[in-house]
Amino acid sequence: MEKRLIKKDALAGIAKKMAGDFLVWAPVKKEDNVLFDPLQKDGEPYFAYLNSKNAPKNVFFPHTETMMKFTRTPKGMVFSAEENRADQSVLFGVRPCDAHSFALLDKLFDQEKYQDAYYVAKRQSTTVISIACVQPPYATCFCTSVDGAPVASEGTDILLTDIGGDYLVEFITPKGEKLANYFGDAKADAAAETKKNEIAANAAGMIKSKIPAHEVKPILDVNFDNPFWNTIHGKCLACGTCTYMCPTCHCFDISDEVKGADGVRIRSWDSCMFPMFTKETSGHNPRSSQKERWRQRTMHKFKYYVDNFNAIACVGCGRCVMSCPVNIDIRKVVEDISKL
Amino acid sequence: MQNPYIPYPVTVDKIITEVDTKDIKTFRFKFVNPEDEQKYAYIPGQFGELSIYGKGESPIGIASSPTQKGYVEFTVQKAGVVTSALHEMEEGEVMGLRGPLGNSWPLEFLEGKNIVIVGGGFAFTTLRSLINYMIYGDNRKRFGNITVIYGARNPGLLLYKDELIEWQKRDDLNINVTVDKGDATWKGREGFVPAVCKDVAPSKENAVAVICGPPVMIRFTLPVFFELGFSKENIITSLEMRMKCGIGKCGRCNVGSKYVCKDGPVFTLAELDKLTPEY
Ligand SMILES: Cc1cc2nc3c(=O)[nH]c(=O)nc-3n(C[C@H](O)[C@H](O)[C@H](O)COP(=O)(O)OP(=O)(O)OC[C@H]3O[C@@H](n4cnc5c(N)ncnc54)[C@H](O)[C@@H]3O)c2cc1C
Ligand code: SF4
Ligand code: SF4
Ligand code: FES
Repeated sequence: MEKRLIKKDALAGIAKKMAGDFLVWAPVKKEDNVLFDPLQKDGEPYFAYLNSKNAPKNVFFPHTETMMKFTRTPKGMVFSAEENRADQSVLFGVRPCDAHSFALLDKLFDQEKYQDAYYVAKRQSTTVISIACVQPPYATCFCTSVDGAPVASEGTDILLTDIGGDYLVEFITPKGEKLANYFGDAKADAAAETKKNEIAANAAGMIKSKIPAHEVKPILDVNFDNPFWNTIHGKCLACGTCTYMCPTCHCFDISDEVKGADGVRIRSWDSCMFPMFTKETSGHNPRSSQKERWRQRTMHKFKYYVDNFNAIACVGCGRCVMSCPVNIDIRKVVEDISKL
Repeated sequence: MQNPYIPYPVTVDKIITEVDTKDIKTFRFKFVNPEDEQKYAYIPGQFGELSIYGKGESPIGIASSPTQKGYVEFTVQKAGVVTSALHEMEEGEVMGLRGPLGNSWPLEFLEGKNIVIVGGGFAFTTLRSLINYMIYGDNRKRFGNITVIYGARNPGLLLYKDELIEWQKRDDLNINVTVDKGDATWKGREGFVPAVCKDVAPSKENAVAVICGPPVMIRFTLPVFFELGFSKENIITSLEMRMKCGIGKCGRCNVGSKYVCKDGPVFTLAELDKLTPEY
């Protein structure tokens, strides 16, 4: 597909112009954190960041969302309306690892048999624009170990790469191409392409953290009962932070809220790290301690997702590593497993 | 795009209190929109999410057979929030029903075989669906001998009492009902399900055992069937895990890489052996 060049300082202007036409989620600085937020009329996007504090998955899979409404009638509480809003939107400036996570979430939420109507509606109406990572990364970044790269287009519709004074603009999908008129008319030449490849190779070389993510699958296949699983969770607080920060974690709860005669059914993020997650009414809990829950989290990412979708459910963003209050490091866990 | 989270509206048509202790009831639902009944075409062994707005949802096995037209039935024990609210419902009230969900008893695999059905307690519900399906009209010819072994703690806890009597009258069904302990009026068998299985000793020849019940019943029944020579490929059961979405998204009901809600709840023992023992 077509490629163009835009001046580096044109970026914020493009985001703001788009925000005049539809909903634009862009990185904004909030106190010390960079987060994705709907860009307000007088708002300024902020691009000088390595990655956003939180993963942008909430654009497609909000922390809590209303699924349907119901109301009281003489015959009991009855369904009144489906709630599934999806306005045309742009997610502007995500990093390639987070865009990769969308491709992974699609596999689960957009299956042929059961499509998740809420996720799919938002995903379909949103164009994802990624900005490649060309700066020295965080020490905790390990995308290159999990089928990603700092300059990569998986899960994105438009990829922007800083090649010096300009951004190279690549329209990856037809959906991305529909927004081509926002990106000027300077066609990219072969030199820009060559420069991008150089920069991509250099950026990949700057990712120093490596894990044997592909090696552990056959080991996990046969080590469900290995005593190794007793060695990770000892200090885990079961706070769920790792799963909430993770761009690929998708577990949720469904609950009802009633106010007066009206109510809503909502879904909210949940976590396999919580004791109640699998606890049955009888009191029986198939994952009865934090050991089983840590094993589930690891297995889900590096074995079960591979079994079901032929893909590792980790994009190497390092957020769980940075956020865990007791410094449990999934990279170390994977490393240790590879030695079993 | 059909949204799989939106329930079909159903009317509570009939409530039958099944047991003396009154905490197990069968609910018969009719679809508010008759065309929804077509969309709810199900196979024995599948389950539905019973949806009470303001309370939540519970996954419950479908107790009626698809051969019973015009309604769908569920037999529910009062347990927590949703099931207690359900027990408070009155005939004529409207609620929601999602599904049908999950795989089912493997009817094609069962065809042409001798079928041994073993049930204990209130887990008998989807077995009842299967029995009623197999004995309905011409369906009966598609299956070999049908042996049923069903047990409850005492006579008052037996489900579907009228149907049990009807089944016992048929000469193409071998029905063995047992209770752990009888009462003054009980004239049937006494004894635990595993012991009765040993006693009835169904032949393994061309046979499949479908076993559903409380974990302890299963634990002691399986060795009996192994001793009778049944292979793990020919023993089938149904799992229960805590569920929410019922369609393999919310991530809580997996056993290894299989979601019990979507890939199960029905598995052969051979299939379970390949999964992690986490249920
Ligand atoms: C495939 C399947 C078939 C079932 N069939 C029957 C049946 O035919 N009859 C029957 O009485 N019960 C059946 N159960 C068990 C029944 O689902 C639980 O007893 C019920 O969900 C408890 O809900 P509650 O709201 O009353 O309890 P609460 O403790 O208030 O539970 C809150 C929520 O947790 C979930 N949950 C809790 N325990 C379970 C559990 N054991 N299994 C699944 N989800 C759970 C449900 O979403 C429930 O609404 C079945 C379970 C499964 C998985
Ligand atoms: S597991 Fe950790 S490093 Fe991997 S995607 Fe999730 S938060 Fe990022
Ligand atoms: S963030 Fe750390 S302490 Fe919290 S649940 Fe995850 S591993 Fe445990
Ligand atoms: S109930 Fe949600 S994944 Fe099975």
